[in-house]
Amino acid sequence: MNQTATGPILTTDGTPLKISLQKAERKNKIKAVVLVLPLILFLLITFIIPIVDMLMRSVDDRHINTVFPKTFEVYKNWDRQDLPPEKIYEAMFFEVLESKGFNIGKASTRMNYSKSGWKSLLKKSKRKFKTIEEGPYKEQMIAFDKRWADPTYWQALGEMVDPVTMGYYLNSVDLRYDMNKDIIQQPENRRIYNKTWFKTFKVAFLVTLFCLIMGYPIAYLLSTLPLKYSNLLMICVLLPFWTSLLVRTAAWMIILQQKGVFNDIMVWLGLISNENRWQLMYNETGTLITMTQILLPFMVLPLYSVMKTIPPTYMRAALNLGATPMHAFYKVYLPNSVPGISAGALLVFIISIGYFITPELVGGKDGQLIGHWIAYHLKTTLNWGLSAALGSVLLATMLALYWVYNKLVGIENLRLG
Amino acid sequence: MFKLIKVAFLGLISLAFVSSAFADITFVSWGGAYTMSQQKAYIDTWSKGSGVTVENYNGGLGEIKAQVEAGNVTWDVVDVLPDQAITGCDEGLFEKLDQSAFIDDLVVPPVSECIVPQIFWSYVAFYDPAAFPGKKPKKMKDFFDVKKFPGKRGIHTWANALIEMALVADGVKPGKVYDVMSTPEGIDRAFAKLDTIKDHVIFWSAGSKPLEFIASGEAVMSLAYNGRVGAAILSEGKNFEYIWDGQVLEQEYLVVIKGSKNVEEAKEFVAHASTAQALADQAKWIPYGPMRKSSIDIIKKGEPWFNTGVDILPHMPTTSKRLKKSVIADPFWWADNGAEVNERFSAWKGG
Repeated sequence: MNQTATGPILTTDGTPLKISLQKAERKNKIKAVVLVLPLILFLLITFIIPIVDMLMRSVDDRHINTVFPKTFEVYKNWDRQDLPPEKIYEAMFFEVLESKGFNIGKASTRMNYSKSGWKSLLKKSKRKFKTIEEGPYKEQMIAFDKRWADPTYWQALGEMVDPVTMGYYLNSVDLRYDMNKDIIQQPENRRIYNKTWFKTFKVAFLVTLFCLIMGYPIAYLLSTLPLKYSNLLMICVLLPFWTSLLVRTAAWMIILQQKGVFNDIMVWLGLISNENRWQLMYNETGTLITMTQILLPFMVLPLYSVMKTIPPTYMRAALNLGATPMHAFYKVYLPNSVPGISAGALLVFIISIGYFITPELVGGKDGQLIGHWIAYHLKTTLNWGLSAALGSVLLATMLALYWVYNKLVGIENLRLG
Repeated sequence: MFKLIKVAFLGLISLAFVSSAFADITFVSWGGAYTMSQQKAYIDTWSKGSGVTVENYNGGLGEIKAQVEAGNVTWDVVDVLPDQAITGCDEGLFEKLDQSAFIDDLVVPPVSECIVPQIFWSYVAFYDPAAFPGKKPKKMKDFFDVKKFPGKRGIHTWANALIEMALVADGVKPGKVYDVMSTPEGIDRAFAKLDTIKDHVIFWSAGSKPLEFIASGEAVMSLAYNGRVGAAILSEGKNFEYIWDGQVLEQEYLVVIKGSKNVEEAKEFVAHASTAQALADQAKWIPYGPMRKSSIDIIKKGEPWFNTGVDILPHMPTTSKRLKKSVIADPFWWADNGAEVNERFSAWKGG
């Protein structure tokens, strides 16, 4: 048998061609990896790690369990009726007394989320406990501060006894654990998140809709006008896009306020009376108007880039074949522009649900979308667990939207340009 | 030889840079007329003051906690409210400070070991007299009376001071407010009172906003930080009137952030910023009340003390007449109940 016909093809130095090709390829692969390495590292540091950290924080209840391990151990066997037995008081006494550094401060902040009052109780108690020399501790603690005899304080601890908790997620949809870790509704006046979620999605949906209604004709004009006009129009779309968000928001505030430009003009025209000026700001109307204007370019640009690729001959052909302009548009142009519509709508919707600064400034009391609460708990209450849970729900919603979109339209139809 | 001279010369220059009196610290405060008063009173007068970078923030411990947890502290000295001072000190976000220089000179005892004293200030209601040609609002209950005094009210977006004011408007004595607030019925009562103005409020969160509300006519009355109103009256000649009734007296402190890279200089700075002279000098620029007794003595001797040549003590929230009508804010109550009451307040706002 002829060896060269069946055996591996060799290069001039005798190594098989396959291997030497692989060698050359490997070099290229390494080069490619090295080239994208900075990007991968960048994504890892600025994107993956923070998201993982956020997900961890949203279920993390470890700290309090390291401060009160013994208390929680005996707590688990308590029937949660009336007041706890002496041994729980005793365990609590020693763990408060022996806690080091800032552990007790952090733990008391955590406990204060479920029952207001723990913070000052522990702070005062730590000082006082140093003077209590021997047990039984229950009576002495109660004698020092009667809150130690309030069962609701003890019951509030029930939700913290495991190092991993779903409590923050429950809070983010107006639920909570009771003392037996059964899931119950928040008390009436603490139910704020479901309303906020609803409001957030409503605003995002309406803004997307308005952007589509206003952006579609603009994009159409842009793609069909002769170059010298379309360039000018394009500048008009892009200029506000390049202007600082805060500047645009402030400009809207000047226009929309009750003694602002718009109301002045309406009064001057005699359309409304001076006393009945419209309230266009510090409510949902203001949020919708301003957000629509700010997010409009995110709708126009993907629409434009898709419409640009629809040959004008299609429409002409349809008209030629006897379709009315409406029918031709509906049957031919619209389906061809769907990738642009969906890309724009998805983009605007996703930006909208996380929007923070504009609703905060022009929205007044209606402007508190979910972003407001994430920032509030980050900045003011330091309840980062709840912030993380709210953020994770937001992230999950976006992924779900993406999934639905992929099922309905197909992600390969998404075109940004 | 020339090379040697050159090296020595360059070395000298760099040495000069290093050893120049140049504190490299970042000081974070609330902006506007208030920060300006701090700049004039104790940054400009400090020997290393030219190295102080000033930044603004809107309160809250979030940024500070993030910096401390990440081990990358870029803020050194921060101007904080009492409940922040308590929580931040408990959680180990602030340095413990030497308080021996002023501890016996304070009007009220310090709320934590991490602070140096600054000022007393008030949440106070004010209005433009032009908006009320007839009867003028005089009492806190007038602020809550939309029949007698129709028009929008500007209020802040958080519950502190609003609960207290609502109760005063409902007839609770300023000294008894926290007793009432410590019962669930008391909080219900405050919210019921807030309900009466709910459809007549617009909200602010930045201290400059209420002045805009009143100046533009967007609101007829607003709550504000008294110093901002005072600075507008005294420095800009604005015609505003205060309602000195049921105002809520708050405190303000400086803290040094734990893990600050310039901790010694930061401590030196806060010591300078809390001298009796520095606190008195601050009142030349803004009508807030110094927390040190000896500062008040300095001002008394120096009147007219304000930079425009008027007496400043009558404009302070701490005159004895005004103190009688003030609710003295209880930071411990708010450190305990702030989160829960603010949740309820937000539900109230949105619902």
